[in-house]
Amino acid sequence: MTAYILRRILYLVPTFFGATFLAFLIIQLAPGDYLTQLELDPKVTPETIARLRSQFGLDRPIHEQYLLWMHNLLHLNLGYSFAYQAPVLDIVWPRVVNSMVIVVPSTLFLFLVAIPVGIYGALRQYSLGDRVISFLAYIGLAIPNFFLALIFMYLILQVYFRTGVMVFPVSGMTSSGFEQFDPWKKILDIAWHAVIPIIVVTTSDIAGFSRVMRGQMLEVLSQDYIRTARAKGLAERVVVYKHALRNAVIPFVANIGGILPGLISGAGLVEVVMAWPGITPLLLDSLQQQDLYMVAGFLTIGLVLLMVGNLLSDLLLTWVDPRIRYE
Amino acid sequence: MRKIVAVLVSVAALVGMASAQTFVWPQKWTVAKPSEVKRGGTIREAVISDYRTFNPFITAEAGNVPSLLAGPIGLVRRDPTTGDWIPYMAESWSISPNKLEITFKIRRGMKWSDGKPITADDWIMTWRIHTDKAVGSNSYDSFFLDGKPITLRKIDDYTIRFIYPKTDAEAFSVAGFVPWPAHIFGPVYQKEGAEGIKKMWTLNEKPENIVSGGPWLIESYRPGERLVLKRNPAFGEWNKDEAGNPLPYLDRREIRIVKDTNAQLAEFLAGNIDVMAPATVDHISQIRQAIQQGRLDATIKVNASPVASSQFMVFNWNKASDPFKQSLFRSDKFRRAMSHIVNRQAVIDIVYGGLGTPMYSSVYPVLTQWVNPKVPKYEYNLQEAAKLLAELGFTKKDKEGFLVDSKGRRLEFNLSTNAGNAQREQIAKLIVDEAKKVGVKVNFTAIDFNTLVGQLLSSGPDRPFDAIIIGLTGGGLDWPFGANVVPCKGNLHMWNKSGQCLDPRETQLDALYSRGRSELDFKKRVEIGYRMQEIEAQLLPVIYIAGPNYHPAWNNRLGGEHPDAIISSIWGQRQLELTFIKK
Repeated sequence: MTAYILRRILYLVPTFFGATFLAFLIIQLAPGDYLTQLELDPKVTPETIARLRSQFGLDRPIHEQYLLWMHNLLHLNLGYSFAYQAPVLDIVWPRVVNSMVIVVPSTLFLFLVAIPVGIYGALRQYSLGDRVISFLAYIGLAIPNFFLALIFMYLILQVYFRTGVMVFPVSGMTSSGFEQFDPWKKILDIAWHAVIPIIVVTTSDIAGFSRVMRGQMLEVLSQDYIRTARAKGLAERVVVYKHALRNAVIPFVANIGGILPGLISGAGLVEVVMAWPGITPLLLDSLQQQDLYMVAGFLTIGLVLLMVGNLLSDLLLTWVDPRIRYE
Repeated sequence: MRKIVAVLVSVAALVGMASAQTFVWPQKWTVAKPSEVKRGGTIREAVISDYRTFNPFITAEAGNVPSLLAGPIGLVRRDPTTGDWIPYMAESWSISPNKLEITFKIRRGMKWSDGKPITADDWIMTWRIHTDKAVGSNSYDSFFLDGKPITLRKIDDYTIRFIYPKTDAEAFSVAGFVPWPAHIFGPVYQKEGAEGIKKMWTLNEKPENIVSGGPWLIESYRPGERLVLKRNPAFGEWNKDEAGNPLPYLDRREIRIVKDTNAQLAEFLAGNIDVMAPATVDHISQIRQAIQQGRLDATIKVNASPVASSQFMVFNWNKASDPFKQSLFRSDKFRRAMSHIVNRQAVIDIVYGGLGTPMYSSVYPVLTQWVNPKVPKYEYNLQEAAKLLAELGFTKKDKEGFLVDSKGRRLEFNLSTNAGNAQREQIAKLIVDEAKKVGVKVNFTAIDFNTLVGQLLSSGPDRPFDAIIIGLTGGGLDWPFGANVVPCKGNLHMWNKSGQCLDPRETQLDALYSRGRSELDFKKRVEIGYRMQEIEAQLLPVIYIAGPNYHPAWNNRLGGEHPDAIISSIWGQRQLELTFIKK
């Protein structure tokens, strides 16, 4: 087992260099660079732009820029943002924490709700309940997150116009005057702001996830060994949860690797629409401005987490599925 | 500045009051009288993008934190009612006979927020750091005139002299830069140089360490979320209203970062933010509706003024590889015909929902003092366009209905703009349709912004585009012509980047630009500006289209806005220092 883990870690090295170089190259392949925006400013001279370009190292060949960046990475320095003129990690970290306020609860909800819903759908296939849930799931799948967020904002405003009561905040993460609140009130305030974004993010994920869960369960339930289990007189509960469910979740365990980078990569456009100070708006800005090291640095964090996550999920698989052995 | 004499008279008046060492904010800058004003309270605003630094020397974006803290401070400022430069942190100035030196007497008794006095050293240090190449300040270029440096000299603690390499219409604009505390930045700069300066005042800096001479201090900042500013009491010691009350009236400014304009609108409609400048017809009508139905107690000034930006179509004069197109694009008649096919009213109606202003010259319509009303306008007129094209030899049409000349060459060009800019894409489609009516084939493609800029700013005898729709912002009240745009060697001389003037009128414009830039008399400068617009109108180096208007809105809990006459995209809806909370 130890040998296996060591071997896997060794494999990660070329993957890491390959992936970072590819990311770096693709960002650089986009036309222009961070300073192109400045070129249309009538007040800035071309000499100034050329000077800044050489200060930022953007005038050097790509491989040289990449090697320099790698050198810094190996010293645990993700790079320096052009736009913020500050180390990438300092800027990214508080935003990632903000995003986690939405992402962590919604990931938990996802598992807590989607798995039972999927199982229910499989056990009561084509029942009224299953049809209703399927119907809702398709709606959830069809509505994009950002649009659902806009609908919620509209509803909140309409309720406010009619009753004068703000049920949930329209946008943002904290109320005005937040700094003066005592610690408990601060937590409650953030929780109050987080309700709608969490619902929005979870809804569409539940839809997809529960459909896959249902499909997996249905497939496993039609296997011979389930019939055998029933034939030898096991309680239905044992059949479903011990024999069927454990096999049905294997593909999910294999995908757990994706959850780790998912935790830091933000809640998506909901953050933009609802003015949540998470990582998505920051990353979108950086992409637009071609803030090279910001994007590359953030991709690197995600990459490392993905590699660690994949390793973890492979190890977890041996625990869930006794048929899998790494020797 | 209309007349130096007039300014000197007002200087004399201010010197008379200078014993009090205060600057009195004129009553005419606000609709509110000092007696109705209430002190205290918070104004709540929203901005689209997050802040990047607190450091005044490396900040680059519009509306950055240092500029918020500083507000209007500088030796001189403009009076929004007249546009004239008036002394502000200076109590007076004198101009040397050769007009190359301006000596400012600095107001005494002004203090930084940490209690240290504001003196000539602060300006000198700020200028030193801005002009250090290694710092990379965005203001670097503003301290040079045609590549020659403008220098500052300290005469004594309260006297400072600006020395210009040549006479400059924008001399006061340069002198109006924001000073920063020398006792904070100086020691670091002496010890660690530019690298030390760059590391200072990042977003992680503790708010209490940020020193300001302006109306505001940082109270707190939450990344991506909210910046809270509080009143700087030291500013109120020398800034008073006419009744002698210290300014600003407000205790706090709370600025939320709301990236999505729909969310901004929702917050404004819910009464959670106080000021907004809606940009689309949809947003405007939602605000109007909410006001009419009594759901929101607010004011909106629709079409207060045009915005200070331009939108135009430029043809490429440097196409050595395609002599047919090159001679076409260099032809006056062709460009005039193209101006005739631009349906500016349709652009305003369709693209800006009826809330826009047509443009015919490089001077933004909002700069009313500068716009030459007599400039010829080649307005929408398809018959005239067809006639001009016929004069160029395009009389016959081919099978598809497009004009061809005697050699059978079709009248056709490619037009592009930056993808994702819905308004420019709509303008382009309107032009394609109208061109088709007179028999000109326009092939429109939307391309990536950076690629577009690359094509536009490429130089040499053969450049890779036919026509581009793009816009520019940033043109001064002192001299509204672009230093990079008008001169033939300018980086933004977009139609012709061969590096030399090709048309005698370009040479003429180039010369007039330099003359105007060094002319100190405002009236004479306006005359030169008028002349330039006439030449531009004949030459049509670019074809101006139309621009959107400015529609400020505010919640009626705020008082102290500008009188209607000065609400515009140049001066904004209010002086924040004179703004107060009514209820």
